Amino acid sequence: MSRSISEECNNLKKEYDACFNKWYSEKFLKGDCNPECDEIFAAYKECVLGAVKSKQIDKLLADARKEDPFARVASSDEKK
Amino acid sequence: MKIFTTSHIFRYPWTQVSAANWRKYPNENCPHVIAIDVIDQHVDPETGILRLERLITCKQNVPSFIRRLCGAASVTYAREISEIDPKNKVLKMTSWNLSLKHLVSVAETVVYSEDPEDSSRTCFTQEASIKCGESLERFANYIESFCVQRFHDNAQKGRQGFETVLERLRQSRAAMPAQETHD
Repeated sequence: MSRSISEECNNLKKEYDACFNKWYSEKFLKGDCNPECDEIFAAYKECVLGAVKSKQIDKLLADARKEDPFARVASSDEKK
Repeated sequence: MKIFTTSHIFRYPWTQVSAANWRKYPNENCPHVIAIDVIDQHVDPETGILRLERLITCKQNVPSFIRRLCGAASVTYAREISEIDPKNKVLKMTSWNLSLKHLVSVAETVVYSEDPEDSSRTCFTQEASIKCGESLERFANYIESFCVQRFHDNAQKGRQGFETVLERLRQSRAAMPAQETHD
């Protein structure tokens, strides 16, 4: 497994990656696109975005997102 | 601006290649990638297309003379958006550098798609455009050529590294046919 941007997020990343890889191979590629790892993803993402902020790359990311938006329809943020 | 393109055929079905793509790192062939994080994800329930946004952390990957000139940081960041269409068997990833954009803008698109002539194989294409910032226009040709060469070298190493990952996953499937591995 690759590392996370911040050491404190490594365990959450590990858990998320394991969940994602299992879901991707066993469900998603077989046509079942119901998300399964939302809970662990929310915790992992919160940790990473905290690190992004403390490393002061949040502005770079925000600018890039303005230029090339991620979500054309909805993002996981908007579902909350 | 300079464009770098390359293509390759992987002798593995698309489903295996696309699953292995998320397990590519850490990879001894690509030691400059030190961390990868998913920062957003979304599945479109109508099309079944999955989109992922990832943040990639790299160790110093800029020419040393730029480093001297501009005092660039030793860690750089890139943003990547992937789109995976499991029905049409296409995985498309686009990435941009976040760091040092005022010096060089690099946009790269990589596509893995099922070989229309042989479903046991996967076609791979890579295209990168490299554009020097205005402040370094005098050195544009040198810097852009340097980056193209860097892309060429890294593309070869990346391909070798990915072949290793694919082979490892094939072996682990063969060793445990009834069980999935998740490492």
